[in-house]
Amino acid sequence: MNTIYKHFLLIIGVLVLSLTSCEDFLDREPLDQVGPNQFLSSESDLASFPINYYSSLFSTHGGWSTGIGRLDDHTDNQATSNPNLGLYEPGNRLVPQNGDLGFGNIRAFNFFLQEVLPKRTDNALSGNTLMIDHYIGEVYMLRAMAYFDRLKTYGDFPIVTTVLPDQEEILVAAAERKPRNLVARQIISDLDSAILLMQNGVSNKTRLTKDAALLAKSRVALYEASFLNYHRGTPRVPGEAGWPGASMSYNSGFSINLDSEIDWFLDQAMDAAKQVADKIELTANSGVLNPPSRAEFAGWNPYFDMFSSRDMGKFDEILFWRQYDLSLSITHGVTIYIERGANTGLTKGFVDGFLMKNGLPIYAQGSEYKGDTFITDLKENRDERLQLFLFDEDDPVHIKSDSAIFTAPLIINLQEVRDVTGYRSRKFMNYDPSEAPGSDLTATAGSPIFRAAEAYLNYIEASYMKKGTIDAVADRYWRALRTRAGVDADYNKTITATDMSIEALGDWGAYSGGTLVDPTLYNIRRERRNEYLSEGIRYDDLIRWRAMDQVKNYIIEGFNLWDEAYKNSIYTDPKPGEVTSAGLVDDGSSDANVSSRDLSKYLRPYQILNSSTNTIFNGYNWSEANYLAPIPFRQMQLASPDGTADNSNLYQNPYWPAQPNAKAER
Amino acid sequence: MKKCKQLGYRSFVTLILSFFALTISAQTVTVSGNITDDTGFEVIGATVIVEGDATRGTVTDIDGNYTLTDVPASGNLQISYVGMRTQVVPVNGRTTIDIVLATDTELLDEVVVVGYGTQKKVNVTGSVSAIDSKSLESRPVQNVSQALQGVIPGLNLTQSSGVGGTLDSQMSINIRGAGTIGSGSNSSPLILIDGVEGNINAINPADIESISVLKDAASSSIYGARAAFGVILVTTKSGKSGKPSISYQANIRFSDANQVPKMLDSYRFAQYFNEAAINSGQGAIFSEEALQNILDYQAYQNGTFTGELTDRNRDAVMYGTTAGSNNRWLLYGGANANTDWFAEMYRDWVPSQEHNMSVSGGSDKITYLISGNFLDQNGLIRHGKDNFNRYSINGKISAELADWVTLNYSSRWVREEYSRPSYMTGLFFHNIARRWPTNPVIDPNGHYHEGNEILQMRDGGVDKSEKDYLYQQLQFVFEPVKDWYIRAEGNYNTINRFNHWDVLPIYGYDTNNQPFAAPWQGGDAGKSNIYEGATKDNFASVNVYSDYTFSLADAHTFTVMGGTNIDLMKTRNLGGSKQDLITPLVPTLNTATNPTPSISGGYGHWANLGFFSRLNYNYKEKYLFEANVRRDGSSRFVGDKRWGTFPSFSVGWNMAHEDFFAPLADKISMFKLRASWGQLGNMNTSSWYPFFLSMPVSSSAGNWLVDGRKPNISSAPGIVSSLMTWETIQSWNLGLDWNSLNGRFTGAFDVFNRTTKDMIGPAPELSSILGTGVPRVNNADMESYGWELEVNWRDMIQDFSYGVKLVLSDDQQRITRYPNDTYSLSTWYNGRMNGEIWGYTTEGIAKSDAEMQAHLENNRPVWRSNWAAGDVMYKDLNGDGVVNNGANTLDDHGDMTIIGNSIPRYKFGVTLDAAWKGIDLRVFFQGVGKRDYMLGGPYFWGASGGMWQSTAFEEHWDFFRDEDNPLGANLDAYYPRPLFSGEGKNQYTQTRYLQNAAYLRLKNIQLGYTLPSSIVNKAGMQNVRFYISGDNLLTLSEITGVFDPELLGGDWGNGKLYPLSKVISVGLNINF
Repeated sequence: MNTIYKHFLLIIGVLVLSLTSCEDFLDREPLDQVGPNQFLSSESDLASFPINYYSSLFSTHGGWSTGIGRLDDHTDNQATSNPNLGLYEPGNRLVPQNGDLGFGNIRAFNFFLQEVLPKRTDNALSGNTLMIDHYIGEVYMLRAMAYFDRLKTYGDFPIVTTVLPDQEEILVAAAERKPRNLVARQIISDLDSAILLMQNGVSNKTRLTKDAALLAKSRVALYEASFLNYHRGTPRVPGEAGWPGASMSYNSGFSINLDSEIDWFLDQAMDAAKQVADKIELTANSGVLNPPSRAEFAGWNPYFDMFSSRDMGKFDEILFWRQYDLSLSITHGVTIYIERGANTGLTKGFVDGFLMKNGLPIYAQGSEYKGDTFITDLKENRDERLQLFLFDEDDPVHIKSDSAIFTAPLIINLQEVRDVTGYRSRKFMNYDPSEAPGSDLTATAGSPIFRAAEAYLNYIEASYMKKGTIDAVADRYWRALRTRAGVDADYNKTITATDMSIEALGDWGAYSGGTLVDPTLYNIRRERRNEYLSEGIRYDDLIRWRAMDQVKNYIIEGFNLWDEAYKNSIYTDPKPGEVTSAGLVDDGSSDANVSSRDLSKYLRPYQILNSSTNTIFNGYNWSEANYLAPIPFRQMQLASPDGTADNSNLYQNPYWPAQPNAKAER
Repeated sequence: MKKCKQLGYRSFVTLILSFFALTISAQTVTVSGNITDDTGFEVIGATVIVEGDATRGTVTDIDGNYTLTDVPASGNLQISYVGMRTQVVPVNGRTTIDIVLATDTELLDEVVVVGYGTQKKVNVTGSVSAIDSKSLESRPVQNVSQALQGVIPGLNLTQSSGVGGTLDSQMSINIRGAGTIGSGSNSSPLILIDGVEGNINAINPADIESISVLKDAASSSIYGARAAFGVILVTTKSGKSGKPSISYQANIRFSDANQVPKMLDSYRFAQYFNEAAINSGQGAIFSEEALQNILDYQAYQNGTFTGELTDRNRDAVMYGTTAGSNNRWLLYGGANANTDWFAEMYRDWVPSQEHNMSVSGGSDKITYLISGNFLDQNGLIRHGKDNFNRYSINGKISAELADWVTLNYSSRWVREEYSRPSYMTGLFFHNIARRWPTNPVIDPNGHYHEGNEILQMRDGGVDKSEKDYLYQQLQFVFEPVKDWYIRAEGNYNTINRFNHWDVLPIYGYDTNNQPFAAPWQGGDAGKSNIYEGATKDNFASVNVYSDYTFSLADAHTFTVMGGTNIDLMKTRNLGGSKQDLITPLVPTLNTATNPTPSISGGYGHWANLGFFSRLNYNYKEKYLFEANVRRDGSSRFVGDKRWGTFPSFSVGWNMAHEDFFAPLADKISMFKLRASWGQLGNMNTSSWYPFFLSMPVSSSAGNWLVDGRKPNISSAPGIVSSLMTWETIQSWNLGLDWNSLNGRFTGAFDVFNRTTKDMIGPAPELSSILGTGVPRVNNADMESYGWELEVNWRDMIQDFSYGVKLVLSDDQQRITRYPNDTYSLSTWYNGRMNGEIWGYTTEGIAKSDAEMQAHLENNRPVWRSNWAAGDVMYKDLNGDGVVNNGANTLDDHGDMTIIGNSIPRYKFGVTLDAAWKGIDLRVFFQGVGKRDYMLGGPYFWGASGGMWQSTAFEEHWDFFRDEDNPLGANLDAYYPRPLFSGEGKNQYTQTRYLQNAAYLRLKNIQLGYTLPSSIVNKAGMQNVRFYISGDNLLTLSEITGVFDPELLGGDWGNGKLYPLSKVISVGLNINF
């Protein structure tokens, strides 16, 4: 038995020994993860960071739609089947109970800069220093874009440039809203850093470029200058009467000279825009308006190709774009939706605003305008941008077979493939038959994001706002744009012939603050509207111009249906399955599929159903509160030292109550 | 000489008697007598039969007397009574035989498995429930947990909400309800198979000897930080000495979908969709012509089509579709067939089989057991195939090396193979309902129509997994001194999983009968993809513990136990995928050609170290006391947060042993009150490294192409809290166990309260200016409280024996601390009950616009407009004239109130069994007594969201139609008018549509017949039983007919999951 006990003693001894090392036994860090200290130290580490945030900051093609071609929906340019009631039915939009202020990306960029900048100072980053700087510059630019988005949404906004800890007092203090001009200055400062650090032409411009940063700078500066200018006198502008920031103790030292502030932003906009526009020529327009044959699906007009090429890097005018690849399953459905209709359409007001090739508005004497009985009529002798980017009855809808002609708008199709107004945009169309062989997400045309034409436009507008005249540089730019559009370059001819009362009917941009602007400024805005057809800048422009005060019972109209178009056999004898409703019904009943011919000869997409349930029947009505978004109520409470919305550092925007689920005051 | 004489005398007598017996062997006698128990009381109702002939028997009367005629004088009488040991008495020609029956001490000596040992059931002071293998027998289940549902009070098994009844689904298990709110930690019970952590579903149910469930902290605290929410101890069968015993069991089963929705026929469907579109201000989806086509197709199918077939309508009438402009056959609005897609996707009564075999035996020194199992379970999927196979081999050997040391070795190998179509994910179940009945299954050229999931399921590739579990255990048991045991065991488990997944190109056929590559899921037409992945878990566990039992003065019995436990888990994984197979016939990584594969691989580990000890004391088995303490260290916590100490105490008082109880002693042999208290820690954090700030990095994963390739991406890490530490679980338990009427009536009742303190809660709510998720900290408390009841009745009337077992339990959870100062209803708050449903009160559906307008005067919802006849009238409760949720806080909740609770209450199981002359019947009901549930999405509502997200089932036809409606008025409809837009304005959580999800389900019914041993013995067998068994054959519930009350969830929304099965099986058990 003695030996047995010895064995036990041995076992117990082993146990006791093992316990002395038990802390080591329990120390177990992850085996396949790295911490921030080990990462973000080489050129390739840095490259991997900003690229991850591109798709959350730049709108591009994707999914079952015409992608960025839908971004202008819910403006005076473009409409979809279901109106945006939040914007245009007063009382519909409510102060959200919950919501996020959108600091996710900002924190990420602050984190990156906080980790990387000291390593840059210490030369602790490995790799090509030019590229290291470029990637740091990208992050500066991304932070600027993230802030610009917040500036547009909320106006005054907290500026946070460090990584905040999860401590309530610090967060409440950090939530102080900075006056919007200071937010814009912060953005411009970030963009200046980006411009300093970045290169051009990296990865065929699928990564951000220095030129893109310059363009962004001109955009932000122009946005802020025009917002301060046109919203002057409203509580949306810091220092003005009723500005809610005035009552905040943290703003006690704030003062602003609005005129010099606007001038400063205009100077910034002009300077940045000029650097881009002087350097980059516009892509040529060959004047060929349709593919000459089925074999030549591309190359017949570089200006048309620029919006739908699979390689957009070859166009100087494109400063930044997104690439797609079928084999990597990075695709979109733009081409197929342009072929079939995409539950959107351009408005009559927009189409009517395009000039004749001779530079005259359509209503002007001697304009040679042919009327709009058919779309082919209205396109005759018009601005070639309209001719290129608006489908008419005879345009090929695809060139997979000979007979594929647009014929007539699919206004009574299934909603998701309906021509809502009858005017279908052709911008972003790629006629390559391999783009959309069936009905799948196989399209791989690139998605343009920044192009240099905007720099031309930004300069013209900024310089005119600053000087009140078209200077020599602006003159040169404007002529270049009109020449490319196939329009008589003499803009003075247009200005002279412009009748603002007529333009006001179909163009909200004719107004600022409810009054008509002068014809020169109006024509600058018209140029912008026409050049950027369906590219998603319209809503921002309308906001900064304060161009919606006058929007009262504004009826959205489409093409001329009831003169001749309604007789087309596509409506009277539809092929089974292609069009789901047999024929046009315009009686206003729940069976109706087009607006009544008694209301207007033009299709009115929001007057099809005439019943009390159709709250937008009488048109769009703008609420002034919508120039800025309401701050989510819960966020006000969380940013308050005592938890009450009333004492919050995050004050509510003008005309929005500091209450959840409350309607705007005006 | 004397001795010899004696022998001679005896031999002589024997010889004479034998002779006598022979001569009277053909004679019968009438025997009578009196039966008493060992305390002298008469036994009433004892069964007396002639051994071997159950037809000749009787029962004792009220005085314990019996009389039995025609008894063979040389036969034997068999006397049995519940709770008494059965006796066999030779008649030997006697006519009066009085018998004293002995109490069956087996019942009192019954032991249950507890932590690191066993205990006599009468001496257990914690809350422990146990079942033996009988509860698992002959159930056509795929895994053990299915058979445990409703069998043990307080052990809750529910269908996991995501996947439903797929062949690889495993039920979710908890003991006494949720223990945490599941944000950052989980409260699964610890499952130990023969003392080692294992997967309860990866074990052959036939190998199980018993299952114990340790429910309170006092019984589970010996397992420390992994056992905070209870322990399930599975003990497998061992060999017994004796001649080899061989058993074989076979089972053939047929499964059928228990509950699938039935789609509307295409005509009513089209009308329903038109109604929804028109109500939403959109044009009709189906034109008059399209509706006519639908009718024509149905008429043609019925042979009643009288119209003319033309080029224009032929395809539509005969095949239900029409050629579209791009040479494709049309679907949806362009098609007009009549398909119930649910009926199309599932097979009926699918056969499967299972076989078990075991051999056991041994000598005094060595025993062995070998068992094997094969299960081939087929799934319900019609197109494509889903299948689950399990193979297992289990071996156990026990050898007594010397008087003082025994060696035990066991090894168990289990393989599980599961395959399904790669497409059979939540998306598939989401999409079935989105295929309109107008879509045809077959196109006019006879091919399966593209776009209806069938091609993906049939030809689109398979997802196969193979898991090998190998459990090995080596144990030495030393007994150096009598009753001093030292056990040292090492366990090593390895789990290997291989997963293969491929996507193969699928082809539709166009109107010219030419194939075209069809999309598999979006823009991937013609693409192929292959993934291979493997993971390996190595789990090592060492337990060394010792116990010693001794008594003082024959009254004080002590058992002391102490030991240590070391666990180390290491995992690794590898995975890779590659696109573009050379041929779909050879789907491997080697035969995929895309130059850029996607690969991954990693490692993980955790470790745990514990020291434990226990003291048991009892005084004459009357007063019982137990104390446990355990100290645990976990690798998941760092610094001073690493170690925790967890004590527990319990006491018991068996009143039946008290003198004052003596008058009742013959009726009640145990009446034991128990009380326990204990404290435990929970180390089951969701993350193995909650203290580590990791940089999120992925290679070639970006969706923004750079130089034509997917770039590497990284992002900013969130925030971690180094303050994270143990959740502390405190529980107390009061219980009562009884055993009465000689074991006829037994039961247990427990009341418990379990508090989870410093629970890892969702992080405190901070301003979103932080820009990232707030790290979770230990900042919340919750409690779970309830009771459990188990009652057994077992009796015998002559040779008819029967039993009833009822288990009933209830638990509720309440948050008792939570950082939500405003008492916002969008998250937890102090006092909130788990499962609480806040909603509006419904007045009804407006029968006319006027009624709605009148209602809106004082009850206008703040959401949406366009209120009309057929919409829901929500009630303004706080009198402010509008219907809203106020500030959405507890103080200001507007018109919302608590309208129900989704936590299942009063969970019960009832088992009835009876046996008579070899025939046995078992009926098992299981259910939930109370539960509310708010369902959403298209399965419940029909029209829900836009047209493409909506569906229409039979139930949905009961929607509101006004008097002018051409479909006929339905003013008292259940559902409001259907809408494709309106953001679900009628679908807010509300009283009208709150479902009563309580149910009673006939989980199992089985009828068996055991052949008389006289027959089977001749064939060299010991026992032969045939049976027929059915699972889930009947369900009573008030819930809407679309849903199975056990399956309310779904990865893609309510109801979008694989149905449960009802199963009918026949089986055979043979013992040699």
